[in-house]
Amino acid sequence: MQASISTKRSFIVQHRYWIIAAAIVLFLPPLSFFFQLTQESSFCGTWCPRMFFVWKKGATASQFFMGFLRSYMGVALVVSIMVSTFFFGRYWCSHLCPVGGAMETGNRLVPKALKIDYKHTPASSIRYGYLLVYLAAPALGIGNLCCNYCNFATIPRLFGAAFSQADMANFLRGAGLVNLGLVAVLGVFAVGGRGYCNLLCPIGAIDALFNRLGIRVGRRVRVDGDKCNGCGACGKVCPLWAIDVKEKAVIDQLSCMPCRQCQKICAQEAIGYGKVQT
Amino acid sequence: MKKVVFFVLSVFISLFAATYRWGDSAHSMGLIKAEGGKALHPAFLESGWGGYTLISTATVIPPYSGDVRIVLEGQPQLSYSLYASHPVIDLGLRRLPTFKDDVFYGLMPGDRIALWAVIKPPTVDPVCKMPHQENFIRHTHNGKDYFFCSEGCLSEFQNSPGKYKDDRYVEGKYKLVFYDTKTDKSVLSVPVIFAAKGEASHAGQHQH
Repeated sequence: MQASISTKRSFIVQHRYWIIAAAIVLFLPPLSFFFQLTQESSFCGTWCPRMFFVWKKGATASQFFMGFLRSYMGVALVVSIMVSTFFFGRYWCSHLCPVGGAMETGNRLVPKALKIDYKHTPASSIRYGYLLVYLAAPALGIGNLCCNYCNFATIPRLFGAAFSQADMANFLRGAGLVNLGLVAVLGVFAVGGRGYCNLLCPIGAIDALFNRLGIRVGRRVRVDGDKCNGCGACGKVCPLWAIDVKEKAVIDQLSCMPCRQCQKICAQEAIGYGKVQT
Repeated sequence: MKKVVFFVLSVFISLFAATYRWGDSAHSMGLIKAEGGKALHPAFLESGWGGYTLISTATVIPPYSGDVRIVLEGQPQLSYSLYASHPVIDLGLRRLPTFKDDVFYGLMPGDRIALWAVIKPPTVDPVCKMPHQENFIRHTHNGKDYFFCSEGCLSEFQNSPGKYKDDRYVEGKYKLVFYDTKTDKSVLSVPVIFAAKGEASHAGQHQH
């Protein structure tokens, strides 16, 4: 597959951490700017992107539809993410998501010796096993992953806990502490800081499918096989362990987000961003 | 093969996580209505935990508007604190109801509130679970004070102290009631049920 890629290090490549920092400031406490536009203070409620598409056993069609209305900003967010991913790749995940961004940023403060490397785990197997149960358990009426295990609830409250007793209350219970543990072990203390995103984020899992589906139509991070010398530097810096390097680097579009760390590290300028040549 | 093994492992671990009931917390959703609103389902909590967190979210249904006082009712009375989710820095972009001293002020139709009740069960005789009274016998074990209703319970505890660790306990039916401050009528009542493990089949489950 011939690709027409640009190796230009544009603003969004060079300043990704500044964009993430801006998203954190605008989304998360103490400012919670975006949430306050709709009378909220976190992702829970109107902005919840993870609950509305989960059908629960016994729910009628109208109850299911009411969930879409209740979380209308979450619905708008998810639709925007999927459409933009199809055409441009997973920029929400790499640049804008304050939750994944906070874990990745926190990860930069952790000494290398303390980081856990998940590179040898097949991310997509775990991710879609989790997504299957995420959708099936409530449909069968046997339980729920949604809400009980949610970093979209944990991270904003972690930021708010220093200021708000309501946010602090989230961590005075077993589920709150387990969520905090998951954010630490799979996020902040994982090599690259994106283990949670890669394994347990249901939006990330669905988004990754759109990324894979739009591979021929949309722009993606791609490898120029003629230039790649198989040095493996890109695989080492990929926070989603999406690059497999044997003779040449191969990017798994079912995991890749366009953070473009690989592009920045590639001395051969063999990795760039673009469409498939027609 | 490796991918299949990890997929199956992931399904099993996720199934365990999904079906595990968190006994120390529950989430209830309800509707605040002038004629008296109800919760979608009762909040089940498992007896035996040292503390509980109840998350109660509610939407105000037109035409109700007003101030509501929130009370956790039931016997014996429980010690609890109520906290409302509110932006840390109110940018004033939208009108928000305020929460102070267990009262929501200025609720308007369409408002959605999120309330966190942190509940502490009462001190009990760890053997018979009778709520603590002034005439109970004090006994110190491993640096901690325990209280017993009778010599019989104390001697049972002394025989096997490891069996009776929980000196905070609650069981029974409670209600988190939202009262309109003007009319003193209930505008929302959330049943809160503390039950032993097994009896509370939905203990701690977050349902929406």
